[in-house]
Order: sequence, then C-alpha cells, then structure tokens
Amino acid sequence: MSRRAVDALFQALYLLTDIRFILRETAPVHELDDEQKVRAGKAIEKLKKQVTILEEELS
Amino acid sequence: MKCTADIDTRDVEELYINIDPIQAGGRLTVDAQKAALAYSDGYSVCDNCRKPFRLDYINKPPIADFHHDCAEWLNMDAVRLVPGARRGFQAVASSIVEKGDPVLVTALSHYTEFVSLEQAGADIHEIPKDECNHITADNAAARIEDVTREAGKTPSILFVEHVDYQYGNIHEIAGIAKVAHQYDIPVLLNGAYSVGIMPVDGKALGVDFVIGSGHKSMAAPAPSGLVATTDEYADIVFRTTQAKGDITGRTFGIKEVEMMGCTLMGVTVVGLMASFPAVKERVLHWDREVKNSNTVVDALCAIEGTQVESDMPREHTLTRINTIDSFDKVAETHKKRGYFLSQSLKKKGVIGVIPGSTRVWKFNTYGLTDAQIDHVCQSFQEIARENGLNVS
Repeated sequence: MSRRAVDALFQALYLLTDIRFILRETAPVHELDDEQKVRAGKAIEKLKKQVTILEEELS
Repeated sequence: MKCTADIDTRDVEELYINIDPIQAGGRLTVDAQKAALAYSDGYSVCDNCRKPFRLDYINKPPIADFHHDCAEWLNMDAVRLVPGARRGFQAVASSIVEKGDPVLVTALSHYTEFVSLEQAGADIHEIPKDECNHITADNAAARIEDVTREAGKTPSILFVEHVDYQYGNIHEIAGIAKVAHQYDIPVLLNGAYSVGIMPVDGKALGVDFVIGSGHKSMAAPAPSGLVATTDEYADIVFRTTQAKGDITGRTFGIKEVEMMGCTLMGVTVVGLMASFPAVKERVLHWDREVKNSNTVVDALCAIEGTQVESDMPREHTLTRINTIDSFDKVAETHKKRGYFLSQSLKKKGVIGVIPGSTRVWKFNTYGLTDAQIDHVCQSFQEIARENGLNVS
C-alpha cells in the first residue's frame, strides 16, 4: 500500500479542480486578472509536486 | 474530447457562460466537485453506517449534523433529503392527501406538483394568477371558498411556488399561508427556485413544508433535494414502517415509508453537504445577484422591440423575455431562421438559450461574475447591432 501515492493522487485531483474553477469563472475568454494568475500559478506548482510524488511512488 | 468511447466530456461550463434557466443554481461549488471526486462510488457514504442503519443517522461523513443544520438554516424543525424536489412533493402528497380530496395548486405550478397530487388521487384545482402574473392571497382565499363549496370539504393541502418557473416572480407566500391556515389547510412551499440561492425562512413565511432542489438551486449533483417540515407534520410525513413479513416475521426498524429507507447515498448527498457552507454564504449576497439580473435585463431592453414579461425591476435571476419585435424579426429573414440567436451567442461564448427560440424565452444570470455579466450584455447588444436592430 502506498498511502503517499494515494494522497498525492487526491491532492492532484483537488488542485486540478481548483484550476478547473479558474477556467469556469473566467469563461469564455479566460483572461485571468492578477489574483487569478497567482492562484493558478500556485495550484500548478503544487500540482507538479504531487506529480513528482506519484512518479517516485509508482515508477 | 471524450470521457469514454461514447460519452463526450462535458466542458461547456469551462468554455462558455451558461445562462440556461434551470442550470444556473445547480452548478457545483469547487468543494462539491472535490467531494464528488472522492465519493463517486455508489454506496460511498455508507462506509460508517451503523445501527439504526439510516442515512440521517450517519456521522461520518457528518450527514446527521447536515440534516440538523439544514433544518435550522430554513427555520424549520426537521429535514430529510430526497432525490429531487418532485420526490418531496410526492412524499408530502402521499402522506397528507386522501383519494378524492380537493387540493390546491396554482396557475404557475410545475407539472411535478400536479403529478405528485395525481398519484395521491387528489381532485386538483388551481389558484389563478392575477394580471401581473402573481399568485395572491386574495385569489387563494376566493379559490378556497369556491373549491370548498364545490367539493363539500376544504382542500387537504395547498401547493404554492415561492418563485415560479415561468416568470421567475416572487409570490405572496406569507399572505397565502395565513389565509390557508384560517381554513386549517397546510401549505407546501415549492422552493426549487429559492432554497439555496436566496434567503428562505419557513417559519417567517408561515408554511408547513419547504421543498428545495439540490440540483436546481443548492449547487448539488442531480437528483437531489430536501423536504423540510414542522414538528406538527414531521411524524406524519416521516412516519416509520410498520410492515411485517407474514412468513418470516421480519420488521424493518426505523425505515421511513415515504423515504423508502435511505434516499441520497453517494455523490448526491456529499455534493449537497460540501456545497452547503458556500450556499449558506451565497444567499446572503442575493442583492448582488438581483443587481446583475437587472443589468442584463436593462441591456436587453435597450434593444429596440424587446420586452420583459417578468416583474420589473427584477427581483430574481430567472427572467422571461419577449423578443418577438426584435430578434424574431431578424429570424424572419435570417438564413439560419430562429437558430441565428443561439448560434450567434455561442460564437460569442454564451450558451443556454434554447436553439430556435427568438420569441419568448427565459434565461438565468445566477452565479456569473461581473466580467461575465458585462460579456453577456455586450454579446446581446452586438448581435442586435450586427442584425440591424437599434440599440439605445
């Protein structure tokens, strides 16, 4: 059992959901304001970390 | 993009502004989307179901607390979750109405109100709307008198819409409830277009039942909803089964007859719960939503020949608009006929107007950002100008 991989998986899904909602609230032009760009950037950075954990655990 | 070989990914909320009249209040919150990911399996909330084995007793996730919180939020005494508002109507009708009973609905009632009462064998009568498309206490009183005289007994229940689906008008609920109670008639509030998007206080309105729709106005997956009632009616509508197997002698504990045991057992209930904090907060900002609704209506009314059939100024985000003398004139000669409007809107990133509609149609601005409201206003006016309509 890899608790770490499972946690990383859900955390990644939740971060993707945060990004999904940025796309929703900025539809249809998806021109992000400064605050939204910061939020999106942070979510993407955190997402990369979770993907790294998945790579470590599953490959 | 595909979810599976045969099912498209639904990405319209990410790609477009959706002003569909029935979809606006049911869009999930970000927390509900996350909860849906985790609880997507069928019996997912049942991992920790213990005696007495009923949905509203489950503590993990905190479904029991949610029931109490929901009742308190609506200022009612008891709540049960149901698979859609229609199942709430059905539970109440089945509990209160005897075959042949006269009952009252309104000229603006949803078909599911009629059908739930039909199932119960009711003799259904309507309260007429007035010239402003309102259901009034005066009309309710007159109709109670008429029906009682004709049927020889008072109606056993009165169903009324807080906000109707045709015009998005808010009706005279407290006055209607007061009149009905003078005849000892219980009142069911259809809150499908109010519970979850605007403040609702059941006791202040004086109603006996509040029905809400999760997927229409509580940012929850379908089918979901709730039925709330008072202590006076809770034991009737939420009565437990007395059934007993004549061979096995089996009994079925505290399963509730109208709920058919448990109701929402997975992503629906957890979606409702996950959205609830945001829903409680958003109803406090109803004035902002109404302002946005009026902004879009004003932009539409600036287009020559356009009229609003709902109350003005708007007090709700659902609006019925008449464009017979504007967009429908364009449709008469446009190569795409009546489809030009929905197609033009889609090109500009706006969906939700029924394809082909250019005469009388509805839209809902609930939940849009300020930038999206501006985009919708500009889109309608640009389409008008592009097609030779004057915009003032």
